[in-house]
Amino acid sequence: MIEAFLLAMRQLRTKKVRTLLILLGISVGVAAVVGVTSLGEGIRVNAVSEIEKSHDLTLIEVSPGVSNGNIILITESKVRAVREYGSVVAPYVKDAYVTPNKTYFEANGISAEYMDAKDLQLEAGMWFEEGTYQIVLGSDIGEKFAKIEGAEIGNAIDARIRLYGEEGRAIDKDITFMIAGRLKPTGTDTDDQAFIDMNIARELTGKDVYDGIMVKLDKSGQTPAARTAIEKLGLTCYSAQDEIDSVNKIMNAVTLVLAFFSGISLIVGGLMIINTMIVSVYERTHEIGITKAIGASELDIIRMFLSECIIIGVLGGILGDLLGVLFSILIDSVGRPMLVAQLGIADFEHLTVINIQILAAGFLISLVISVIAGIYPAWRGAKLDPVKALRQL
Amino acid sequence: MCMVKTQGLSRHYTFGSGNQVVALSDVNLTVASGEFISIMGPSGSGKSTLLNIVGCLDKPTAGDVYIDNVKIDYGNAGSLVQLHRQTIGFVFQGFNLISTMNALENVWYPMYFNKVPKPERIKRAEELLESVGLSNRALHLPSELSGGEQQRVAIARALANHPRLILADEPTGNIDSGTGKKIVDLMKKLNKEQGITFVVTTHDSVMANNADRVITITDGEIVD
Ligand SMILES: Nc1ncnc2c1ncn2[C@@H]1O[C@H](COP(=O)(O)OP(=O)(O)OP(=O)(O)O)[C@@H](O)[C@H]1O
Ligand SMILES: [Mg+2]
Repeated sequence: MIEAFLLAMRQLRTKKVRTLLILLGISVGVAAVVGVTSLGEGIRVNAVSEIEKSHDLTLIEVSPGVSNGNIILITESKVRAVREYGSVVAPYVKDAYVTPNKTYFEANGISAEYMDAKDLQLEAGMWFEEGTYQIVLGSDIGEKFAKIEGAEIGNAIDARIRLYGEEGRAIDKDITFMIAGRLKPTGTDTDDQAFIDMNIARELTGKDVYDGIMVKLDKSGQTPAARTAIEKLGLTCYSAQDEIDSVNKIMNAVTLVLAFFSGISLIVGGLMIINTMIVSVYERTHEIGITKAIGASELDIIRMFLSECIIIGVLGGILGDLLGVLFSILIDSVGRPMLVAQLGIADFEHLTVINIQILAAGFLISLVISVIAGIYPAWRGAKLDPVKALRQL
Repeated sequence: MCMVKTQGLSRHYTFGSGNQVVALSDVNLTVASGEFISIMGPSGSGKSTLLNIVGCLDKPTAGDVYIDNVKIDYGNAGSLVQLHRQTIGFVFQGFNLISTMNALENVWYPMYFNKVPKPERIKRAEELLESVGLSNRALHLPSELSGGEQQRVAIARALANHPRLILADEPTGNIDSGTGKKIVDLMKKLNKEQGITFVVTTHDSVMANNADRVITITDGEIVD
């Protein structure tokens, strides 16, 4: 088999220009696919790292689940069950309040575990004291209160909560909170939330279940397993991984479509190989006749031509990968400053990403196309009638 | 021992218009093992056709060929390939070397298909070139060799896999009579010393004079 390649190599060397041209044809196609895929991959990687920056991947947000049309509530026993899966498990309640000036806000009734799980950091003031009507505001809602209500840290703020009695009758309850502190901005939905003592919140609403649980894990690698276990309890889970998954899904689809269209040039490369191989079979008709007479089987002839195609595929793949890397560097060095300038976004490291999978795919595409393109010419050569072939000079 | 036997061998070419060319008609021929026979006849009489069918490169329209008393099954491609690899060697008229390979490679090429390991193959090719007096031209391309030298390389190549039957189609057709005589002598020597059966078509009387038996063929039929 090695020798078949050596012989094929010689054939290719005897027609250098032609071989070089098909190599270029196929490798330009591979380069286009590699370049475009590296761009898609680069965008994906940047998007994912953005998500990772603003989200905690070790955090699972658990909410009540739905099964067969029944709502599965987060009861004390569920919380106990969930405790097995996280290093910090923080149940909380969440209620909507409105101020006399019609500012709606959400207040989470939380415990110290919650602060730990979400890593809440004070910017000013201090945390609420347990058992009091003190409130800590997220940075955005804090600003809003200051602007609309004129309420700063240390001020009181009136709020009303609407509850529903036994017969579905609305009962409004008025409370006065004391603003104890303000959180650092996080860029997440924490900025829009207010936080009060969980026991106070439950007392206000009379709830005996929780609205959610924050589950914090030690390592992000534990997230999927913990998540599956919690979902088995009938509860709904959300983690930043969901967003990463959907970004991955979308970007993979986009990249595939882009790669497909840039790959159309590969058809041209394939046709070039078919054409060159047919010409080669035609030129070597007499030789094929002799070769058959001295004991080559049809398979030997097919092997002879396919070996040439495999060499073209391998060389085309390597050359295509090299050109693809160059193309990808070009996209990065031209495209990145342009994007940063146009969109006014913060500079990021790379617009394109080359990885081993992309290079392997480029190489394989070249190989597969070369071999497929060689099948018909090789078959034609194998089927040549030796008597006719020998007659032809 | 009978090396080749044909029975009622016919080969017709049919054209789209329904016209038929009869290249061979009811040829019955027996060649004994170790025999050197020469087939003569005017151009177009069917000599090459007969040789190609006996050599399993072409299929007869009717009739059978036996090689080594085994009936050839033209439908069984594998058995034909085995015959080419092990039993039959070919020498054609002119231009029958592979132009991109040097003399040595041309000689070991049949052994490559017969899966002889490379060192062994090269050794035998060198010996064969030596035996036809061309060891000093081993690395030359066919285009760098004279017609007579090319034909000697072709004979060396035909011998590669130790065939017991060599079919030669006008091996001296393209070379001058002096050189042709050397080719004839070489073939005779191989026939005498190694007992290889030769079936040689020719227009050359020197060749015919050296044959054990001359068969004349006209219009596809053997005439006595
Ligand atoms: N492929 C073909 N199609 C049609 N007719 C053919 C074909 N091959 C050979 N013939 C015919 O068969 C006949 C015998 O041809 P063949 O080549 O066997 O003759 P030959 O005796 O070898 O002649 P020469 O001495 O010129 O080589 C000729 O009439 C030729 O025209
Ligand atoms: Mg002829």
